[in-house]
Amino acid sequence: MNTKLRKSIFYWVLLLPLAVVNIFPFAVMFVTAVRPRDELFVYPPTWGFSEFRWENFSEMWVKTNFGGALMNSLYVSITATALALLLAIPSAYAMSRYRFAGKGAYRIFLLMTQMMSPIVLVLGLFRLMMTLGLVNDLNSLVITYAAFNLAFTIWMLQSYFNSIPRDLEEAAWMDGASHLTSLVRIFLPLAVPAMVVTAIFTFINSWNEFVLALTMMRSSNDFTLPVQIYAQVAGRYQVEWHHVMAGTVLATVPVAIVFSWLQRYLIRGMALGAVK
Amino acid sequence: MSSVTIRDVKKRYGAMQVLHGVDLEIRDREFVVLVGPSGCGKSTLLRMIAGLESVSSGDIIIGDKVVNDVPAKSRDIAMVFQNYALYPHMSVYENMSFSLRLRRQAKEVIDRKVREAAEILNLGKFLDRSPRQLSGGQRQRVAMGRALVRDPQVFLFDEPLSNLDAKLRVVMRTEIKALHQRLQTTSVYVTHDQIEAMTMADRIVVMNGGKIEQIGSPLELYDTPANLFVAGFIGSPSMNFIEGVLGRDAGGAFVELPGGVRLAVPTMASGVAGQKVVFGARPEHCALAKGDAGVAVQVEVVEPTGANIQVYTKLAGTPFCAIFAERHEFKPGQTIRLDFPADKIHLFDVETGARL
Repeated sequence: MNTKLRKSIFYWVLLLPLAVVNIFPFAVMFVTAVRPRDELFVYPPTWGFSEFRWENFSEMWVKTNFGGALMNSLYVSITATALALLLAIPSAYAMSRYRFAGKGAYRIFLLMTQMMSPIVLVLGLFRLMMTLGLVNDLNSLVITYAAFNLAFTIWMLQSYFNSIPRDLEEAAWMDGASHLTSLVRIFLPLAVPAMVVTAIFTFINSWNEFVLALTMMRSSNDFTLPVQIYAQVAGRYQVEWHHVMAGTVLATVPVAIVFSWLQRYLIRGMALGAVK
Repeated sequence: MSSVTIRDVKKRYGAMQVLHGVDLEIRDREFVVLVGPSGCGKSTLLRMIAGLESVSSGDIIIGDKVVNDVPAKSRDIAMVFQNYALYPHMSVYENMSFSLRLRRQAKEVIDRKVREAAEILNLGKFLDRSPRQLSGGQRQRVAMGRALVRDPQVFLFDEPLSNLDAKLRVVMRTEIKALHQRLQTTSVYVTHDQIEAMTMADRIVVMNGGKIEQIGSPLELYDTPANLFVAGFIGSPSMNFIEGVLGRDAGGAFVELPGGVRLAVPTMASGVAGQKVVFGARPEHCALAKGDAGVAVQVEVVEPTGANIQVYTKLAGTPFCAIFAERHEFKPGQTIRLDFPADKIHLFDVETGARL
């Protein structure tokens, strides 16, 4: 056995407990989701099941209005992500490229906002949204999610922008490009990896957010996925666990797959070859 | 093509002054090299011509237009950056055509110009590659090509060869010079390498501490450096300097070095007897003395380079280098006698450093 293989095995053994801890809830979720209803509470619990029921998913979809909640979640997460990026890119660019009074203080301020738990702000935000007439409006979530993610997004983008050589923009200006042209055709294409990373992060945060969504959304038509799934459990005499788990599988697994595919952007496309 | 005039240009960053009033006239079609140690302000001056740095005071004039407030994109200047600054997400072709595409030139015109430039620079095979697939020398050529396709008023070069290995640097040096002879575009070239400056320039501007020390053709700077700084900066290995006292007698002028050695110097118009001076002699201008003429020195280190022999000794307690084209068989410890042809001797004032 060569050393490389032995090393690999050793590292996998080290990683195993972590993998188990991570995968266990997913496994439970999955086997519960595809089980017939009367096998939910067998004792002792088993991994196996008599019948693989895909129908659980379709039943759940209709019964819980999953489609509506999915659309709400998609709308909120995508719009919030777009809004956060739209506001963060100019801000991060300015922080990375220009010198202005109070820049350091602004950075610290951004960091400080991250030290406050959102739950502390829920009450205030609710009252704010009431004044704005946005309670029970998905846009209230769009605004708050974008705002909560803005600080992190600016920090991330700024540190990546710093790594893009200034010479590239200067070369573009010398080539006859205006500031805007060089930004759009030279700078932003190079910043795509950072934008993808921050977009993924903001999207996942918005997708999973629960407390604010629960507070702001009063009617079940406007529920996002986490709230909708929660509504299947909370305050019910009989919880249809197989439906809850089917919903949870659908809410988490596709997103996880998409993003594990997107993460190649994290490592690819660095400004390699631009400058020595 | 255009002339560039720099009139009493100063640059300040807050309290720090980087350029202390620079005056320079760059003629149309001229190849001017700005040379100096790092931090002397040569790159800042170049970037001010480019429009990448603001002018604190004074005027920069391209052609007959003051361009102080003209943004970089409208100055019609092409610049080759030290690290090439190729757009990494574009192919070589796209890199070279970017400026033309911005000017919305016709596709055929762009294609013709890019292929012409690629032909000149031997880049024909690489047009579809991305910069990261190229070697350092090829990237350098692409950076040149990007400037070349535009037919600009002025070419600016910011230490374009400093990232290349020694051999390639020599090749590219010649290529850039040949290119200039062919295109005749006004060029300003910044380097800290005096050999690059000597070999490429029509005129050299030697800068130090934010001031111009001397402007002149390469041979003028070599033969008659205006001061100690230029004398020490131009030439490799650099000129030997020894402090001494100027004297005059019936035989003419001489410098008396510490230890009583007397060296004949040309009878100068300026400089009075008893004045403290710096005696300067280039290593390649030392000769072996015949008989007991000249000054006796002890050989310490001998470095044969093939083309010549560099001998390191001490003269009047100061390290001294001499170069001989002949293949003498010197040994460390051996005593040799050096002679200095009086017409190749340089004298400088100790206080001001100015040439006497």
